[in-house]
Amino acid sequence: MDRIYCVIPERCIACGKCELACAFAHGSEGQPAATRIHIHRRGPDLGTPVVCLQCDDPSCLAACPVGALTWNARTAAIEVSRETCIRCRMCVAACPFGNMTWDDSRHEVAKCDLCGGDPRCVPFCPTKALDYVPADRAAILPDAAVPGAQR
Amino acid sequence: MPTLTIDGRTVHADHGTFLLAACRKAGIEVPTLCEHPAVEPYGGCRLCVVDVTRPEWDGWSKMVVACLFPVEDGIVVDTRSERVMETRKVVLDLLLARCPETPLIRDLAAAHGIVATSFVRNPVPTDCILCGLCTRVCDTMGMSAISSVDRGAGREIAPPFRAPPPACVGCLACAEICPTGFIQFESGTRKRRIWEKDFDMLRCPRCGRSHITAAQADFFAGRGGVPRSYFEICDHCKRADLAATATRLAGEPATPARQG
Amino acid sequence: MRIESLKQFDTAVAAAREARSAKGREVWVCCGTGCLANGSKAVADAFGAQIESAGLATTLGLYHKSTGCHGFCERGPLVVIQPEGLLYTKVGVGDVPEILTKTVGKGEVIPRLLYKDPATKLAVAKYDDIPFYKHQIRVSMRNIGRVDPADLDDALAHGAYAGLARALSAMTPEQVIAEIEVSGLRGRGGAGFATARKWKACRKAHGDRKFVLCNGDEGDPGAFKDRSIMEGDPHSVIEGMTLGGYAIGAHEGYLYVRDEYPLAVVNLQKALADARDRGLLGANILGSGFDFDLRISRGGGAFVCGESSALMRSIEGRTGEPRAKYVHASDKGLFDLPTNLNNVETWADVGAIIANGGAWFAGWGTKKSKGTKAFSLVGKVKNTGLIELPMGTTLRHIIYDIGGGILKDRPFKAVQTGGPSGGCLPADKLDLPVDYEILADNGSMMGSGGMIVMDDRTCMVDVAKYFLKFLSEESCGKCVPCREGLKQMLHIFEDLCTGRGKPGDIERIERLGRGMQLGSLCELGKSAANPVMSTLRYFRAEYESHIDHKACPAGMCRDLTAYEIVSEPCTGCHQCVKVCPTEAIAGKARQKHVIDPARCISCGSCFDVCPEDCIRFIPKSLSVPEAASAPARVSFGNPSPAPARSGGTGGGACPR
Repeated sequence: MDRIYCVIPERCIACGKCELACAFAHGSEGQPAATRIHIHRRGPDLGTPVVCLQCDDPSCLAACPVGALTWNARTAAIEVSRETCIRCRMCVAACPFGNMTWDDSRHEVAKCDLCGGDPRCVPFCPTKALDYVPADRAAILPDAAVPGAQR
Repeated sequence: MPTLTIDGRTVHADHGTFLLAACRKAGIEVPTLCEHPAVEPYGGCRLCVVDVTRPEWDGWSKMVVACLFPVEDGIVVDTRSERVMETRKVVLDLLLARCPETPLIRDLAAAHGIVATSFVRNPVPTDCILCGLCTRVCDTMGMSAISSVDRGAGREIAPPFRAPPPACVGCLACAEICPTGFIQFESGTRKRRIWEKDFDMLRCPRCGRSHITAAQADFFAGRGGVPRSYFEICDHCKRADLAATATRLAGEPATPARQG
Repeated sequence: MRIESLKQFDTAVAAAREARSAKGREVWVCCGTGCLANGSKAVADAFGAQIESAGLATTLGLYHKSTGCHGFCERGPLVVIQPEGLLYTKVGVGDVPEILTKTVGKGEVIPRLLYKDPATKLAVAKYDDIPFYKHQIRVSMRNIGRVDPADLDDALAHGAYAGLARALSAMTPEQVIAEIEVSGLRGRGGAGFATARKWKACRKAHGDRKFVLCNGDEGDPGAFKDRSIMEGDPHSVIEGMTLGGYAIGAHEGYLYVRDEYPLAVVNLQKALADARDRGLLGANILGSGFDFDLRISRGGGAFVCGESSALMRSIEGRTGEPRAKYVHASDKGLFDLPTNLNNVETWADVGAIIANGGAWFAGWGTKKSKGTKAFSLVGKVKNTGLIELPMGTTLRHIIYDIGGGILKDRPFKAVQTGGPSGGCLPADKLDLPVDYEILADNGSMMGSGGMIVMDDRTCMVDVAKYFLKFLSEESCGKCVPCREGLKQMLHIFEDLCTGRGKPGDIERIERLGRGMQLGSLCELGKSAANPVMSTLRYFRAEYESHIDHKACPAGMCRDLTAYEIVSEPCTGCHQCVKVCPTEAIAGKARQKHVIDPARCISCGSCFDVCPEDCIRFIPKSLSVPEAASAPARVSFGNPSPAPARSGGTGGGACPR
């Protein structure tokens, strides 16, 4: 776990490129519904990115009855095992922040898994509202209290 | 780390795992029907039979099911010996007789060279292969609402007394795990119906979206020691709340936000 | 009065023996299930009432008791008069006064109640002279028929708990296991696994809490030895299990009794209560510091629960389904704890072995199968019942010397051993000694000791079908090869027996049988094909006849067989008409009789009773309505009675 995913909401201009990049990265040919990052739009170019916080004590993992959610030690992301998941959607209901979604078209749950250590949204964000920074640098970023930068 | 030989390849298996995992680790595919990572192994379909021997056994070997046989250091495994393949064929031939119209079984049988069953075709074809995945996942979920009933050729999966199961919370895990789609259900925003039992969906008080049933929420709330309300707000609305919190903490003015 | 030391035990046994010998004159009435079904309770009550009202205890020193099964079940109700050792058979309530006045009072034997040896036709008065009993060596059944199962003192007087007393006072657990090892005792439930080895594995297993279990599920059709032991000498089982607990370090156990044995449950419950009261069970047994207790768990009516892992699940309250046994029960069994399961007969042997020494038991038997074995001898044999003999006894000795030969002196055809998991052995195997490996090598198995004798009026294809039907109803249904395989195998056999057999059926049967043997989860499925495979091995011609000629050589498959009366020898004696269930035989007295094929259901009853041998059976496909008046043609497979001990295979020849 040498990098940390950071969100700096003030920089978000609600362009939506991260959503598209995420959807493409997870193989859905750009269907926006497949995105695991959601921009909560407040105006024409004002938005707040909402994405999985990769909690230390994940509610989703606790709620899963079959152990389909596991913590990846290298990327520090919580991942869903497609083979083990039984689609009961308890995790969707359990996440306090709504970051576990149900993708009806592909009939599976979806969450941010940091793309296995190379988050695809980051290079597409024009304002660096999303970044994947080395752990030591994250601590000196301005808004340390911002959710998403807690590690 | 136990070291074994599978189909001539040396495999370093993880201690305490079953032979099937070791085969997969070595990239060797062994057919299964009743195995699923979400539930305990069952050993019912018998497709994953393999031949196990040791050098000191002088050629004698035993047939075991890989899903339940614990890895042992020094064993020599053949996943495609003649009698293994023959047994798999008999199993698939029998299943094809029972489920002649089930695509999963037809495909698997065809992959083993069986296009039509040599036995008496089931006069009332069914899609249920009695793999027990549904009952096992229901046990794992904690409800144990359905089980196998009767024995022998009359064995079926059913709720107690074939009535709408009292313990069922409508989580659909059984239907989702069923490999043949035998378990039917209807699910919409307001209602869900499975095993002839009707459920109210747990609808978000703000936007009306739903993902789970109210009964499911009650059951897991009770188990997790949280109030039912914990599950009520839907993910969309929860994301909106998170966004609002983030915005507030960042010192931005709160503006009515579009549901994102 | 609780026994709290070895000394007190010896005193109690001496007192019990003295009380026994004071009862010099006794009438023993068999109250095992078989005799009870024939009304022996009323006989026992009548003896009790009449002895009391006439004050015979005082005047003649006469007592009576109810005992367990003597084994000669077909001849019950059985009554034994001691000290003479007289055996009376088929005793009714009406015979009681006569027995009391004549036999007990005046020492006169009542001829009509005596057993008549079918070979010599002579009556045999003494129990010990009757061949059925004379040849037996009873170890597990040592006290059955001698003790009142509800009387612990009676059991003590006959040696009960002597082994336990010896072990708890003078042996370590390891020494107990060693004694069992010397005895060569192997599991008497069917698998024949070396008992000492199983006990050692369980002793070695990690954990403080262990179980001993008794498999009293006895599901094989025709097997009733375990029932007789549990009913007739429950203390032998309790003692054995306590010894087993001591040996492996278990302090608790269950007696799993099939639901269909209510008398066994009642008698075991009484015995457990009595043993606890006396300090022979429970805390600090015989003052040794060893605690051990037992509970009864009743089955729910499933043959599959005789399988050890299914049995354990049943005790746990779950559905009786076997599990893969790559992890042995000695490590993880009942409630996932180390468990040792043995059969009723095995447990009953243990006490005697510890009391008398392992070498004593190993003095009987063959090189690999030591000791004695109980058998349920049933079927077409003259003396049916329960017997115990040394291993190594030949099948011929059992069937002819003890069994008295085939009923009606018909030719012997086969003996089925080992229940639904076993096989059929033909006449040329009659000299095989009963031994685990020898029976298995010849395509059968020891099983729990069921022996079904078959004569020439048995269709071997039908025998295989019978066992398939039984197993298909008892299969738990968890695994594909057994559940679906039995169903499909039964389809093929139903076709064979109704004239729809096709070329290639034998190959299909063999392929399916092999698949079931290799693929099934438990022994029920794995051995389900055994009756089929063994009948194919020794009676292939019968299968071929069913397929190629749509004919049943034994004349038993009704759809394939037609019966006809050959006019010439018919004397019109009318015997056949009396037994025909469909009034299909026409004919006036002393005139030639004729069978109407339209009404005949081919049951063969007429064939069985005809004294003139003039009824024949032919393949239905060959029968024509005018058969009655046609000259007798050569009909195939028509066996005729042969003298006893024929050793020939009798009928079954395929016509050409």
